Amino acid sequence: MIGNDVIDLELAAAESDWRRKGFLEKLFSADEMRLVLESENPEISVWNLWSRKEAAYKIFNRNTGIRAFNPKHFHCRDLNDSGIVVFGDSRVYSKTEITSQYIHTICVEDRNDWNKIASLSESQIIKKDDLPFVYQHGGYFPATVSHHGRFEFRFGLFKNGLDRDLSFQSAMYRTFFGDFQQP
Amino acid sequence: MNKAETIEKLKSIVKPYVKNAEAFENLSEDTDFIRDLQINSANLVDVALDVEEAFDITIDNASMEKMLNVKAALEIIESKLSEE
Repeated sequence: MIGNDVIDLELAAAESDWRRKGFLEKLFSADEMRLVLESENPEISVWNLWSRKEAAYKIFNRNTGIRAFNPKHFHCRDLNDSGIVVFGDSRVYSKTEITSQYIHTICVEDRNDWNKIASLSESQIIKKDDLPFVYQHGGYFPATVSHHGRFEFRFGLFKNGLDRDLSFQSAMYRTFFGDFQQP
Repeated sequence: MNKAETIEKLKSIVKPYVKNAEAFENLSEDTDFIRDLQINSANLVDVALDVEEAFDITIDNASMEKMLNVKAALEIIESKLSEE
């Protein structure tokens, strides 16, 4: 499974006061709060961890069918641009892109999945039971869409798909996440 | 405080975070904060904090997890108020 989450930093600054009393305590563990508050740019660190928790939640939600507002169920150990997010007995791998305008995280369950991910155009997204998929070469693959403010990112996980047939890669809206450079 | 009063108080709390005005106008117990009102997930924390302040209660994690719609929020507020 795959999950992503984008945060428009300008909109986040307008919508949320992360310095508000009690705000961080509701989102983060004591260890995560320490990471955030001791970091060079606490605001970026707040949204960095938050985007990872949200991306990991999408995998949790899709695998379990459970809807909840449970940010503290998801644990991040560092602020690096890649890292593990742990929840319950599960762990997912995250990659986070931080720019001056947005923060975007993708989570996958298997490290081998990084080269099975491709960016999608809006028209490629198909909703089934309100969940996004992408249809490619006779099969449905899970997709993930995140929109916030000025930004929208869509990715598909072509597990057992890209390995078999790499021919459609060039038709993709964007390239693989591994090639996805910061602007 | 009766249920209608609690709903009115809750409505005034969520209003600043609502992105879908029409859903807000038609708010009922079945209204979902994220799907219907399109409240940003980070702002659900603000809703929880505002509810804590307005009703002078503490919303623990287990309760916040369920606070995704009006019905759940009302149940949490009522149960916390009865504990006081």
